[in-house]
Amino acid sequence: MSAADSVPEDGLFGRFEILTAQRQLRVDGQAVALGSRAFDLLAALAARRDRVVPKDELIGLVWPGLVVEDNNLQVQISALRKVLGTQAIATVPGRGYQFTVAAAAAGAVQATRAPERSVGAAPQPARLLVADDNKVNRLLLCRSLELMGHEVASADNGRAALAKLRGERFDLLLLDLEMPELDGFALLEQRAADTALHGVPVIVTSSLEGVAQVARCIELGADDYLHKPVNPVLLKARVDSSLERKRLRDRQAELLARLAPDLPGTAQGADAALPDARRTTATLLCACVSQVDTLPPHDTLELLSRWTTLMFDAVEEQGGLVSQIGGDSLVAAFGAHRPAPGDAGAPWAALQAAREMGELVALFNAERSASGSAALMLSVGIASGEVVAGQAGTPRRSAYVCVGAAVQRAAQLEALATQRGGGVLVDAATQQALSGDAAAHVLAPVALPGGSTLMQAYALGPD
Amino acid sequence: MNDTVIDPHVFDELQANAGADFVVELVDTFAAEAPTLLTELRAAQVAGAAERFRRAAHALKSNASTFGASRMATLARALELGGLPPDTAAVDTLAREFETTLAALQALARQ
Repeated sequence: MSAADSVPEDGLFGRFEILTAQRQLRVDGQAVALGSRAFDLLAALAARRDRVVPKDELIGLVWPGLVVEDNNLQVQISALRKVLGTQAIATVPGRGYQFTVAAAAAGAVQATRAPERSVGAAPQPARLLVADDNKVNRLLLCRSLELMGHEVASADNGRAALAKLRGERFDLLLLDLEMPELDGFALLEQRAADTALHGVPVIVTSSLEGVAQVARCIELGADDYLHKPVNPVLLKARVDSSLERKRLRDRQAELLARLAPDLPGTAQGADAALPDARRTTATLLCACVSQVDTLPPHDTLELLSRWTTLMFDAVEEQGGLVSQIGGDSLVAAFGAHRPAPGDAGAPWAALQAAREMGELVALFNAERSASGSAALMLSVGIASGEVVAGQAGTPRRSAYVCVGAAVQRAAQLEALATQRGGGVLVDAATQQALSGDAAAHVLAPVALPGGSTLMQAYALGPD
Repeated sequence: MNDTVIDPHVFDELQANAGADFVVELVDTFAAEAPTLLTELRAAQVAGAAERFRRAAHALKSNASTFGASRMATLARALELGGLPPDTAAVDTLAREFETTLAALQALARQ
């Protein structure tokens, strides 16, 4: 099925079915209520699922001829994620959004998430690489794998195979041992040294005799070993099993990325090292949403999930990292795990994120008031200073943490903002870092309750 | 005679799994590739290059096994594991077996 940028087509994506003529989304065969903009957005993303779609392009498609802020788009994305699951639409910071659910083969409804697939379900086609210098073996192996429904590429020596692995995406490598240029053992050694290649499982296929060779391959990180001539039944079982394990690992990596994303020195894989602790200057942002606990429990959690999704977008859009989620609150660090983007630095990025959060909550409230729901109140505290940042915890559970006076100040300011009925409060260090910037004029000094002399605070006003 | 040259079970299974048309192609590929490997065996024996010799014998063994050419696979395996021979007599025997094997395979594949 082509994913051309033409008229949106009807399509079946895992559990989801998009019916263009009826403007309807069905999940597991049941029609789901979806706003008109959200439906247009879904159709636009699904039709362009082969690429990341820039925000401007999506806005042009969903709100043709209108001048619309990014935030409207984020709210609609959030609404779609609520229905489709958060994984269905990926945010690519600075670039846009991508629909990630694969189109199902005609007539075959498959679950989208690997762990939910029932055992014995038809495996999804994968992209495999066969490395074998012997033409007869190579042709036969490619043929067998193609007959299983996979897409297969081949290489006739180890060096060519390695180049292909580094240049293209593969789900599995079937590797012969005796090859010119670079043999199978050398390829496994190079793979072991290159974390980018750890994600591609390897099944060694060889007619070399003796267990020593098998043991050496396993030691070098091969998943499995098949003797040639390869028995087709065994081949299918091993390939399916390796692909299933890869899907589970990919899913785990996704979950890991949700818990500790994009940290310096964090390599994917079993030997992932925790990033070194470091002392650095950063800007901390504490955000809290109030007036949600009056709802029924299920609605409260659903609301908080949507709120958190929107806040994550605001933070990540500005290059920040959410280090803690507390249900109705979150802590984000700017400039701690990596330098803040742009010349204005971390204080500016945090302030922008806070402003976006405010706009998102305003839009969110407008949507809620249309359905008669109570408005949420957002409070944000921002503070800058020296922090110690790094991974801390136990071997069972750890998190990226920031510790320091600035973290406490940000939390205090957020509490003060809540007392004042919401809004954004900024500490003196952040205000000074911003002075001279065009932003400074929007920060006004505020009197703290009880004439507190512990710190100065500045409130973020309207533009 | 063919039954001893080619194991019919292995060959039938190959046809069933990969498709009879594809097996015709595969036999043609074997016909094109094996003479190069036999030439390499002879060259390696003359040059006294034991590892090259072993590799070429290994490749021939592997291909013969794929088609169920048991007798040829046994001869090639003996060369693979036996070290560098003093002359090319064993290679000549293997080359003759290859001719017999190929004729049998071509007949079976086109049946």
